[in-house]
Amino acid sequence: MFYRRAGIRHTSYRSERRLWPLPFDRGLVAAVVVLLLVAPLVVERLYLIGYLMPWIIWSTAALGLNFLMGGAGQIHLGYGAIIAIGAYASTHLARAGVPFEIAALGGGLASAVIGSAFGATALRVKGLYLAMATLAMQSVVDFLITHVPWISGGGQATLTVPPARFLGADLRVDLAAYYVALSVCAVVTLFVLNVGRSSFGRALAAVREKDYAAAVIGVDPFRYKLLAFWVSSFIGGVAGAVLAFCYYRAISPDQFHLDLSIQLVAMVIVGGLGSVLGPFFGAALILFAPILLNQAVGALAAAFGLGISADLRAHLPLVLYGALIMGFLLAEPLGLAKIYDNVRKYFLVWPFRHAPR
Amino acid sequence: MNALGAAAAFESRRAAPAGPATLIAALARNAAEEPARVGFREREYGIWREWRWREVLDEVLALAAGFEAIGLRPDEALIVIGDNRARLYFTMLAAMALRAFPAPLFPDTPVEQLTAYIHHGAPRLALAEDQEQVDKLIALRERTGRPETIVYDDPRGIGAYDADGLMPLDEVVARGRQRLAETPGRREELIARAGPDDIAALLYSSGTTGAPKGIPLRHRNVVGGVANATLGGYFRRHEQLFAYLPTAWVGDFVFTVAGGVLLQATVNIPERQETALHDLREIAPTFYLAAPRAWDNMLTRVQVGIADSTPLKRRLFDLFMPRAIVVERKRLAGGAPSWVDRVVLALGELLVYGPIKDFLGLSRAERAFTGGEAMGEDTFLFFRALGIKLKQFYGQTETSALSAAQTEGHVKLHTVGPAMPGVDIRIDDSGEIQIRSVSVIDGYFDDPAATAQAFTDGWLRTGDAGYLEDDGSLVVLGRVGEVVRTAAGERFIPNFIENRLKFSPFVRNVAVIGAGRAELTAIICVDFDAVGHWAEQRALAYGSYADLSQLREVQALVAGVVAHVNATQPPALRVRRFVTLHKDFDADDGEITRTRKLRRNVIEATYAPLIEAMYGGAGEVAFDAPILYEDGRRGAVRRTLRICEVAA
Repeated sequence: MFYRRAGIRHTSYRSERRLWPLPFDRGLVAAVVVLLLVAPLVVERLYLIGYLMPWIIWSTAALGLNFLMGGAGQIHLGYGAIIAIGAYASTHLARAGVPFEIAALGGGLASAVIGSAFGATALRVKGLYLAMATLAMQSVVDFLITHVPWISGGGQATLTVPPARFLGADLRVDLAAYYVALSVCAVVTLFVLNVGRSSFGRALAAVREKDYAAAVIGVDPFRYKLLAFWVSSFIGGVAGAVLAFCYYRAISPDQFHLDLSIQLVAMVIVGGLGSVLGPFFGAALILFAPILLNQAVGALAAAFGLGISADLRAHLPLVLYGALIMGFLLAEPLGLAKIYDNVRKYFLVWPFRHAPR
Repeated sequence: MNALGAAAAFESRRAAPAGPATLIAALARNAAEEPARVGFREREYGIWREWRWREVLDEVLALAAGFEAIGLRPDEALIVIGDNRARLYFTMLAAMALRAFPAPLFPDTPVEQLTAYIHHGAPRLALAEDQEQVDKLIALRERTGRPETIVYDDPRGIGAYDADGLMPLDEVVARGRQRLAETPGRREELIARAGPDDIAALLYSSGTTGAPKGIPLRHRNVVGGVANATLGGYFRRHEQLFAYLPTAWVGDFVFTVAGGVLLQATVNIPERQETALHDLREIAPTFYLAAPRAWDNMLTRVQVGIADSTPLKRRLFDLFMPRAIVVERKRLAGGAPSWVDRVVLALGELLVYGPIKDFLGLSRAERAFTGGEAMGEDTFLFFRALGIKLKQFYGQTETSALSAAQTEGHVKLHTVGPAMPGVDIRIDDSGEIQIRSVSVIDGYFDDPAATAQAFTDGWLRTGDAGYLEDDGSLVVLGRVGEVVRTAAGERFIPNFIENRLKFSPFVRNVAVIGAGRAELTAIICVDFDAVGHWAEQRALAYGSYADLSQLREVQALVAGVVAHVNATQPPALRVRRFVTLHKDFDADDGEITRTRKLRRNVIEATYAPLIEAMYGGAGEVAFDAPILYEDGRRGAVRRTLRICEVAA
């Protein structure tokens, strides 16, 4: 109905491979970008800082994890540690007087180096064993951060992020912080979108489907698995730096524990493995569903005057939250992005059921 | 001459623009006026390759110089055989520049039938599209000595051939470019060589009866014809055309080559015949021409798709489509849609009509035409209701296909519209339609006898029976020669009844028999796709076309179609019995022509036992069906066909 495809033709393979060939999709992307750009001007500060910022930053991080899990097929249960490394490395660099632009990249590099070192185990082990190896990484990094005061600033201490500027804009100002987070997210999104249609992306897909089959067709699994860990960890490190400077502004080890890693994996899986859109949907659901459910349960309890116990009141949203995730995955195992894709295709072939002959 | 025709002729003389006199001059004008505008666009390996008018002229002149170098002489035919390809069109133009003329042939013509096309214009050279056509031309040369030189466009598979006189088109172009570079001023000389009286193309009559006649269309015929059509508003400048019809058909030559060059259109050529419908959507042409059968197929595609669709989409279609058809019917009857109708149509455009037009690739088709046969009312109304302003046109190869066409606001289903500006139409005493226009040929190629028979003091005798309505609209009934009588003396045109039967999507071909008989019978070929789908939905098992055609349920379905048509016929002219044939009529078996016209004498000879059985009152007939294998061998297979009665 909305999608019109008559008259779309290509005179080169380059234009045929463009990201959004259909005018309606381009319009939709443009609309979302405009909405995100004008959001700070129309949205209250509470919503900007409380909802939009975390959504954008967690989406960026989930994009990085999805690059590894969905793109190259390597499971990672220690992504929280990767983000922690990026956050701590960039903060320490900034405290040493390095400007934010370089500190963020430094955080990314530190994550990439350490992440790839642990990722090297992926060359030996797969599946559940890799899950265990990355889980071990999470514990090792948690332990090191907590127990080396030089990193954490003391056992229970909180490390304050020094004032920083990005291209002259003060990151303590919410507006600047928001736009920096948005730009980083945009760059990462464009990168991930484009990798999918490059030889690198196709090599990763080959490794994902079967690593020794990829070796047979001339894709070196060693190289591409390591590269996948490197790139994914770099994105995680930069996301960590953005998290520290634009959102938390003071970091402590307990912000990066295993539950963060699990949350990120949940975002990727609920959103849709291997999809670029998935992390955005996944992050939105994982971040906001508990809040909305909590409010909904509270409002319903108040509206109907139900005398539910405080215990049930606290746990019911969590039960519903779990049911919601299970429901989505039961309805469409490939995640929220696939649900969107199904809806899009429903309209794409309108008024037919499928593209007829 | 009737008064209306005279007025129109006067109008055209007064208003005719002083355009180029030949297609080559028009091409040179395009290259000068619009050098950067895309003239031809061809899909190759999934993407569209474009030639701007400047490049088209370069290519044509290089081809012309090259063909001159390999011996193409003036007044000589150049056989062009193959699917629609930009370089085939360029070569046709190149031949015209040399004052030779292209003779495009249908690419699916078998070798035996090709021998009919090597006499007129003594073709010594031929251009073949690919290996398949090269093979046929080599076989033709072995039998007849012509053509001496075979130029081929697509070299795939020809590398290992060691036959003499084979040459890739690339080499012709290379030679031509060399010659052009060597002799300054040759370009201009080549452009100026052709004159308006030179033959632009040699086409052939379909050969429904006897050997095909050569029909030479001269530059002044096609230039004049296109000018007439432009005056009538049937053509605009800068159209997007879709070149998918056989190059040997007058419609493709006049609309694609002549119309494209004269009106600076963009000619879009699909990758292959099989991808034409898909490629159509990528182009979304502004001018689209298709045979009634092709429109029927499109309607069937939509209907099958909707029948398979989800409940909501299907309900929306069922809600909006009948409304649009009712409004269109009202509009054709001269009424205006009410404001409620307008709201419904606007909503329907968003929800149903727009998406379907987009799916078909006709969302920009402002000028959509059909012709050659009568069109079913259902199909006609469906597309007009969608908002595609489908119109019927009428013309013969002899008139450059441009004689009459409907005009918006005066569309009536049973007419083909008034004569185009510059075309005079009269009806003689026997009811035959006669035409006089600048677009009508002077006479058949090298055939004074046929010419004398077909022309009477400057008027072309079309052989079609028809009449003019009061508003000047022409009604075509059928061929004059097709009017036959039953034993009781009732006059009828079998084709007229056949067309009405074929309006059903389930009937693909049909031959109505009854000349000199007491009552009418029919041999019916069901449509494999539509009936196959119908059978699948009812869980009826079948393995082949032959199986499907003999299912009792299918025969009952066909009987329903026949009864529906019978209801509109006088009692003496109702089809009483029919058989559903075990195969479709096939041009390779000679039962229909390449343009899908029935060859009645062949059918009556081949199926004589069947016809006798239908009049003999038998319940079924065992019949030795002749089979022509692809390698030319003949065989027979015994089939038992049931004879079905239609309730009176």
